[in-house]
Amino acid sequence: MIQNDRLRDIFAKALLARSFEARLIKLTAEGFLPPLLHPGAGQEVAQIAALSALKRDDPVLYSHRGVAYMIARGTSLSAMIADMAGRAGGTNNGKGGIMHVVDLPNGIYGESGTLGGGLVVSVGMGMALRRRDPGRVVVHFFGDGASNRGTFHEALNWAAVQKLPCIYICENNGWAVSVPTSVSTAVENIADRAAGYGIPGVVVDGADPDAVMAAVANAARRARAGEGPSLIEIKATRLLGHYAADPQDYRADAASVAQRDPLAALRRRVIELGLLDEAEIEAMTAAHEAEIDLAVEAVKAAPPLDADQAFTDLYA
Amino acid sequence: MRTISYGQAINEALAEEMDRDGDVILYGLDVAAWGGIFNITKGLLERFGPERVFDSPISESVMVGAGVGAAIMGLRPVVELQYADFILVAGDEIFLKAGMWRYMHGGAFKVPLVVRLPSGATGAGPEHSTCPEAYVMHSPGLLCAVPSTAADAKALLKEAIRLDNPVMFFEHRRLYQKRDEVPEGDVTLPFGKGVIRREGRHVTVVAWQYMLSRALKAAELLEQEGIEVEIFDPRTLSPFDSGTLIESVKKTGACLVVEEGYRRLGVGAEIGAILMEQAFGYLDRPFRRLAIPDVPMASVKPLVDRVLPSVEAICDVCRELAA
Repeated sequence: MIQNDRLRDIFAKALLARSFEARLIKLTAEGFLPPLLHPGAGQEVAQIAALSALKRDDPVLYSHRGVAYMIARGTSLSAMIADMAGRAGGTNNGKGGIMHVVDLPNGIYGESGTLGGGLVVSVGMGMALRRRDPGRVVVHFFGDGASNRGTFHEALNWAAVQKLPCIYICENNGWAVSVPTSVSTAVENIADRAAGYGIPGVVVDGADPDAVMAAVANAARRARAGEGPSLIEIKATRLLGHYAADPQDYRADAASVAQRDPLAALRRRVIELGLLDEAEIEAMTAAHEAEIDLAVEAVKAAPPLDADQAFTDLYA
Repeated sequence: MRTISYGQAINEALAEEMDRDGDVILYGLDVAAWGGIFNITKGLLERFGPERVFDSPISESVMVGAGVGAAIMGLRPVVELQYADFILVAGDEIFLKAGMWRYMHGGAFKVPLVVRLPSGATGAGPEHSTCPEAYVMHSPGLLCAVPSTAADAKALLKEAIRLDNPVMFFEHRRLYQKRDEVPEGDVTLPFGKGVIRREGRHVTVVAWQYMLSRALKAAELLEQEGIEVEIFDPRTLSPFDSGTLIESVKKTGACLVVEEGYRRLGVGAEIGAILMEQAFGYLDRPFRRLAIPDVPMASVKPLVDRVLPSVEAICDVCRELAA
């Protein structure tokens, strides 16, 4: 079982991620941000629990769905808004938007815009860590959709052959944009494919932060001990559309899915455990909103990026 | 000065850079135990050990993608893709990852990656024969080297390994056995600086690698007819030394590009456009190209020879331009 203070921390960060993302969606609807966010609502608890099992200097290649990875590591809220808004103060000088947030001191190493493109990059990161900095592990998050790229096969096979310190976390929310896994994927569990690479493959419930943390902690222990990569499949819940304004008319459970919200379940649990009461959660939410207000104000006060930034950062 | 082959020169460059910098690693299909399908990496496994020289599966995406990942974490990987055509197998990793990882993350990373690409028509069939430099030249973020001599191969590869940007390093297979004078010791060449291989007054011919050897032969033949051909070898295509080319064209007033890639939107098309935009006033004849005439490279020799720009074809165009 996760210790109470850790569980409280995961809840607090997931709550902040949910509020922050809701604000980004609101700012998008208002026209301040471009409609390029892929909401992670429903997947924050598992994402944050997974990163809670790792160290801050373990590099992360994150998945495109949501901002909770960065919240977990403590990336500046205003920097992420600035990345989307094209204002000064972001992390990637207008080049990558919210898809390519980079925050090296906190171990955020960005993302591949082509889904599944990071899988093969993470293999080389593992090679470099083993040679230059043994004991660190690289974690790569990706979706069930990306698991059908050929890069999944090439990366997991070669990482397994080399026994690299890599952790592969597949957040299976059942949807590749509008295509359900029943149409795209021959096996019930993505983790079953681990057998084909001779590595452990485990399935965990994305609404169960204890299970997620335990699985990642175990994979990290193996990786740090030189025993090679692991594949962890999180059965995840995508509460919203592929992108913020996705009408989701392809989805029969669009209305009812909110009942399966892992954050709502965790909220009930922290209350039952006596870690927080309703009033404290309300106060926490208000504090988050105030923090987000400050970040938004900072970005709105920041100058637009110089358009000549289009020409920088290409060559070292 | 001593002479060694182009292939030996590449081997020496790899060995010297691996000796100099412990972060340089080398991998690819067959490069370790066998010493490379073209025998270029022989002896490196024995010298540097399996931690730094190792074989990979037939997995071009992860070969290049891992190179990007290793590079952003501080290693200097050298990856052999066996056949340059395979840049298209690893297209996401070369064009969208190696070329763009630094840019799309706002300059947070360096990508000191070298991908070695044996190229050229040797009758190995449509997917193992091409000179696909144009794809690389087209794509931002990538550097492109096309060494034509053993000395250049060694000096440019040493430079490529030291650069903090991804380099697509084309090695023409028909040059691997070609011997040239190569100085001993630590010699590098800067990217973006071409060389005039032969001076002449009448026509500027741009050529590199195997087509350079044909252009040089053509120039010898034409000399007997009183036609003086100036030959420009760009050494690297990204960056491209347009300054030296334009100086040459100012003198000759005519330009022919001879390339082993496809004609349509090829390297020659770009060089022609550079001249139209920057040197139109100095050209007093139409810009010309000789290239593969937009069909795949066949497997058998007569068909290959039919589409490769020949010495005779180079002579014919130069005569027209000099007339």
